[in-house]
Amino acid sequence: MNLKEYISSGIIESYVLGLATEAEQEEFEAMCKQHPEIEQARNQFEMALENQLQQDAVAPPPQIKEKLLASLSSVDSVSATDTFENEQAPVRRLSVWKIMAAACLLLLAGVAFWAVTLNNKYQTAVQENIALKNQLAQSSDEVTELKRTAQTLQNPALKTVALQGTQNAPNSFANVYWDSTTKDVYLLVNNMPKPASDKQYQLWAIIDGKPIDLGVIEEDVWKKKLLLQMKNVQNAQAFAITLEQTGGSPTPKGSMYVMGKL
Amino acid sequence: MFLSVTNFLNANTTYEEQELVHLLKQKDEQAFSYLYDNYAAALYGVVKQIVTDVEVGNDVLQEVFVSIWRKIESYDAGKGRLFTWMLNIARNAAIDKTRSKGYQQSLRQQPILDDDDMMHAPVRPGIDDYGLKKVLFKLKDEQRMLIDLSYYQGFTHEQIAKALSIPLGTVKTRIRSALLQLRTLLS
Repeated sequence: MNLKEYISSGIIESYVLGLATEAEQEEFEAMCKQHPEIEQARNQFEMALENQLQQDAVAPPPQIKEKLLASLSSVDSVSATDTFENEQAPVRRLSVWKIMAAACLLLLAGVAFWAVTLNNKYQTAVQENIALKNQLAQSSDEVTELKRTAQTLQNPALKTVALQGTQNAPNSFANVYWDSTTKDVYLLVNNMPKPASDKQYQLWAIIDGKPIDLGVIEEDVWKKKLLLQMKNVQNAQAFAITLEQTGGSPTPKGSMYVMGKL
Repeated sequence: MFLSVTNFLNANTTYEEQELVHLLKQKDEQAFSYLYDNYAAALYGVVKQIVTDVEVGNDVLQEVFVSIWRKIESYDAGKGRLFTWMLNIARNAAIDKTRSKGYQQSLRQQPILDDDDMMHAPVRPGIDDYGLKKVLFKLKDEQRMLIDLSYYQGFTHEQIAKALSIPLGTVKTRIRSALLQLRTLLS
């Protein structure tokens, strides 16, 4: 095939319009390099085609250019590739949204878990706090009581009477502290059997063989109180404790448990 | 005053093709703006002959220029003029779009290789006969159909031969001769 035949075979138009196969394209490009006449003929057809298409141009809506120029800065330049990649941008954008949505969900789950954990910890802490406050109040009361006891016992005017167990309760032991100035009476129960629920111990002062009621021992002496303040007495030769019906008795009727002389 | 004169001068700058390509490869936005002003309408005309939907056609034109901006590095002046390169990008983008699922559904088109479709709608209706199409109409019917199928619808010679039950050699010969007539008609 000579050059003239090749030029008029339709290969030029086929190549320029993008209709040639890859093999035809390669052959044509090689021919163009070898023969300037072919390149010239190609150039002529290209210009004729361009001329025709410019004559029949249709003005696009002006907003396309605005949108285009605005989008240029975000368009990455891609190195030489001949394949058309217009589908890629939206696909890539979509995956970014997916990743962000997934990240948001993960974050949300994390925050929810954190909140639940935190709330549980808070509830536990509140309960612990209440328990500690109760303990503290109890301890404070006990400390106050101990201080009061200690102060009372340090009083130099205080006279101590040790009440020893009788035959009814040989192991029982109690102390009575009598303030000779204020006439206050305090009782410390060291060891006495716990009375039945319908009975109470009662303290007596004894002057000239006559018992004077100094009050019953309230039940809470076995719970917390160390030193009980009893009724005042002007004078006493001895102190004794008897077991009486709940509420006490005007005169001792039950059996005596401890006794001691001043 | 000075600024407006500068703008006026810039607006009227004309570039030699070689210079324009050089600036585009350096990502010169002013050169790109010039390129758009001078070629967008011609390429839009081509796109509209392939894509009938106006909105889709607008999208394609924008995609075409984004592609030009991104791929200008790969343009080789030894293989042809800049316009030819852009024309092929535009044609490929438009044909790709008509083959996308969304577009096919919107037009309720049949699958690509439907013999009846090809036979009965060789030159698709609804497209104004302007531009290159007008030139095409001067061709004989069978040639017109082959150009439409290969150029505007992007079918390969093999696909056309199979669909129309014509030997491949005949398809090639007819298209070649149609293209040669096109050259005569253009010049």
